[in-house]
Amino acid sequence: MPALPLDELQLTERDPKTGKLRTLPALHPEIKADRSFVLYKPPPAIRDPALVEEFLERAKFIADDLNWLLALPHDKFWCQVIFDETLQKCLDSYLRSAPRKFDVLWDCHPEVHELQKCLHRSVFLTFLRMSTHKESKDHFITPSVFGKIIYNNFLFDIPKILDLCVLFGKGNGLLLQKMIGNIFTQQPSYFSDLDETLPTVLQVFNNILHKCGLQCEGASAEPQKLEEKISVTAGNMPLQELKDIVLYLCDTCTTLWAFLDVFPLACQTFQKHEFCYRLASFYELAIPELESAIKKRHYEDNSVHCAVFSCSCENIQPFIEEFLQIFTSVLQERRFLRDYDELFPVEDDVSLLQQASSALDETRTAYILQAVESAWEGVDRRKGQAVKDPA
Amino acid sequence: MALPRLTGALRSFSNVTKHEDYSEELADLTTKRSKLHAQLLKSDLTWKKIIKFVDDNLDKKEYQTVNGDLKTILQAAKQIVGAENGQEAIESGAVFLFKTFHGKECVGHDETKVIKQMFGPFPSSSATAACNATSRIASHFPEEQLRALMQLAEEQNGGNRVLFGKNIVFSFDMHDLDHSEELPVNGETDMQKNISLDY
Repeated sequence: MPALPLDELQLTERDPKTGKLRTLPALHPEIKADRSFVLYKPPPAIRDPALVEEFLERAKFIADDLNWLLALPHDKFWCQVIFDETLQKCLDSYLRSAPRKFDVLWDCHPEVHELQKCLHRSVFLTFLRMSTHKESKDHFITPSVFGKIIYNNFLFDIPKILDLCVLFGKGNGLLLQKMIGNIFTQQPSYFSDLDETLPTVLQVFNNILHKCGLQCEGASAEPQKLEEKISVTAGNMPLQELKDIVLYLCDTCTTLWAFLDVFPLACQTFQKHEFCYRLASFYELAIPELESAIKKRHYEDNSVHCAVFSCSCENIQPFIEEFLQIFTSVLQERRFLRDYDELFPVEDDVSLLQQASSALDETRTAYILQAVESAWEGVDRRKGQAVKDPA
Repeated sequence: MALPRLTGALRSFSNVTKHEDYSEELADLTTKRSKLHAQLLKSDLTWKKIIKFVDDNLDKKEYQTVNGDLKTILQAAKQIVGAENGQEAIESGAVFLFKTFHGKECVGHDETKVIKQMFGPFPSSSATAACNATSRIASHFPEEQLRALMQLAEEQNGGNRVLFGKNIVFSFDMHDLDHSEELPVNGETDMQKNISLDY
């Protein structure tokens, strides 16, 4: 007899209170174990023995509990995941607070480092299991029901998906592509959520500009209070504030890059909000300002370099027109064009497009290339001179 | 202080996420410890079963020697768990100590950590006494017999279940920024370098 999906399975068991036999759906809150997961807190930035000890105790609890969870049979795993709020909060706290690669380097105790690694793996495996509706031939959930479960219980949401990409995407890209691809396929509402999130992403850019005392397009039309007129710029703001802004910018760029790298299908949603154009104009305004502020402060921390990113699509043919439109819209952003061209030569892209499509509008591409060329005019730095890390 | 994160902003300002209240979780470590104590009381391996095991497998003369060691473990558990927690908690603590020190020659770093995680700070002399007593008790039994006894405790913890993803190759490589000696956006740097104030 073929196995039933978990969402249709019924279990017969003895009621612990009355001792009588009863039938329950396999996915039922009473099946959840009373485990009480604790919240994750990142490793301490300093080697304070008390802080190290607290981290170790907390992390050990989580690591043990996640190992227990991963060893549960399919039905019990899903009951725990759906009905245990402490588990959901624990996983969320890890995604929020786990150290990113570009976070300030901490002098890490070897035991802390080992436990953090162990935790990192267990969290990934937990999310991997949560994103899989078919674990084996006999253990599976109806795809549409799976889509509802993960969405209605907020097992995955857009911020969590972005965190997963930045934390795990580099080394586990292929697995993560499958995980996130499956989540979006089984629950298309995530596309609407992404669409709803994009204005907040753009607002983050606006907020950075605002904090640096820069004008921005699409900024709030609210009248400015008189007391706000004191001009704070990246050059004169307190050092800690500048550091926060730069780290915020690094985190924003790296997170978006990681997400689009893992899930290129999301590019379409980004483009609906004229993302490339907004990014280019943000870059043009913010980066030179932050760069000169950093230089002015003799800010020697190498970890605060900024990342530039691109949106790429595997199937290039349908996007040629979009590519041309995006470039046409950012041609006035000269600084952005130069830096972009240095990292991703536009000439190469155009050459690729010419090979991909014989119907490419040569007048437009020539216009774009000419604009890129003119963006370099009058600049001492020349194309291809960027100092790149040989690694 | 919260780190500046894009996803932090999305959690705070968008409507696509569950707005969690984390304030009640401040005492989560205390809750966790009491939950572990409760789990310990439900263990399939009980103090009575250990006594019965000793009684069933040893002759009278040997039993009397071992009985003294059992009492030592119970006494150590009383000091570590706290007499005020009642006989049941003390006995489950004694089982925990027996399980922890089984196969160990001394109280090492790992054992100290495990006991501290379960009961908080404890007198090290009690742990040493329990460890030595466990070692002496274990010397009276073949390894297989003891392993069978210990399995009673492991089954409840899922010790012999297969971990999901056990064979998955996991990479710790994470997205990072491109480091370079110079920012790529340094159009004006050369110009600035050429300016000389040396008249």
